[in-house]
Amino acid sequence: MNCQKFETVVGELARGRMMEIDIRREALVHSDECSRCALRLRNEDMLTRGLQLLAVETESAQAPSQLEQRLLEVFRERRALQSVSLTGGRWRYWISAAAAVLLIVGSGVAVRWQIAKSTDQIPQVAIERGEQTDPGKLLNGSLPDGPAKNVKHSANWKPKERASNILASARLHPVPKKMTTPVANHISKEIATEFMPLGYLNAANFQDGGQIVRVELPRSAMASFGLPVNMDRYNERVKADVLLGVDGVAHAIRFIQ
Amino acid sequence: MLAGDEEALALLYRRRQAGIYRFVLQMCGLPAIAEDVTQEVFIFLMGEGQAFDPARGSLNAFLLGVARNYVLRRLRGEQFLTPMADDFEEAALAGQPAGDRGPLDDLTRAETIETVRKAILSLPEKYREVVVLCELENLSYVEAAEVLGVAIGTIRSRLHRARALLLEKLRPVDEESTSSATVKSARCFA
Repeated sequence: MNCQKFETVVGELARGRMMEIDIRREALVHSDECSRCALRLRNEDMLTRGLQLLAVETESAQAPSQLEQRLLEVFRERRALQSVSLTGGRWRYWISAAAAVLLIVGSGVAVRWQIAKSTDQIPQVAIERGEQTDPGKLLNGSLPDGPAKNVKHSANWKPKERASNILASARLHPVPKKMTTPVANHISKEIATEFMPLGYLNAANFQDGGQIVRVELPRSAMASFGLPVNMDRYNERVKADVLLGVDGVAHAIRFIQ
Repeated sequence: MLAGDEEALALLYRRRQAGIYRFVLQMCGLPAIAEDVTQEVFIFLMGEGQAFDPARGSLNAFLLGVARNYVLRRLRGEQFLTPMADDFEEAALAGQPAGDRGPLDDLTRAETIETVRKAILSLPEKYREVVVLCELENLSYVEAAEVLGVAIGTIRSRLHRARALLLEKLRPVDEESTSSATVKSARCFA
């Protein structure tokens, strides 16, 4: 072993750490032969002894006894806080859940109340049957002011429909079948187009009421609204419902088959 | 303990507090800080005990690692110790007895302990912690590597370097010139 090799193992040798027995023997032999390495080993031994003395000196050192009590108090406080926060968390959870349920129920009640209220306010729409109205006047929106005086109101059938619902229907749809009167049975077989606006149409116009008036028009009038017309039946007449506002002005029309 | 068992905490504290306290005390030299850090370590354990992963090392290594972080924070924050230069040529202690005697030959036991303690405290942190763990707390290289989060080879080389630094600090004044060549050669293998 040379001095360089000895330098790499002198620390482990002085500390008494486990090492290969051959290396240990070679290192000790080298320290006997080399005075400088012998001094090096001696110094390392002395350092090891000094460190061991310090380790023994501080071996009994430990934290003050009151520290344990402080820590246990902290531990109890934290545990209490955790239990309080857990309990509080459960309460908050249940309160939130109850509030959510109340909100949902309240919203439902409010919506139902709003629907009931608006149903009371919607215009009562009556389908007029019987007398015919001048189709040319209807199409031109030149109905006389006020409710149509030359039509008869059906005595047995006064369905309440919301004007907005009527206007929103965008499909051909059968009139509801659940009717009891002969007239209603007749109507239930009808198929109507959607209401087509006659000029500017605003649902607010129907807040104060309105009427649907059944009229007959020449089939050629359908062409004015872009509907297909069978030329073989060009001269025949076709039924139509005209939606009149409270001011008597025709606002929309639908054709009935 | 994490489930709220007070007895478990007390038992754990009694088993581990001394090692933590000693480590911190050797690192900083101040009993007040050692006490504070020991308390902080266990308070950390109460709140963040889930951070301990047995697969990554022993509980002792975990606690010492936490203590190390706290004490280094305190050391860097308070700067109550004068850091020593890493270059050990300028780090020799003055006023030591001369002659061909060893570094601690003429000192009494108490003086030896105090001299070694001061020499350790004057080491740079990365060497000091290795000396404290491996020499004073008798941890194996593996355990020390777990505490410090470094490789075992790093522990070995740092310890070699730390011992060389300590010898240089404890060496008598007139011995510096004659043994500097030996010490310098040690640096090459650090």
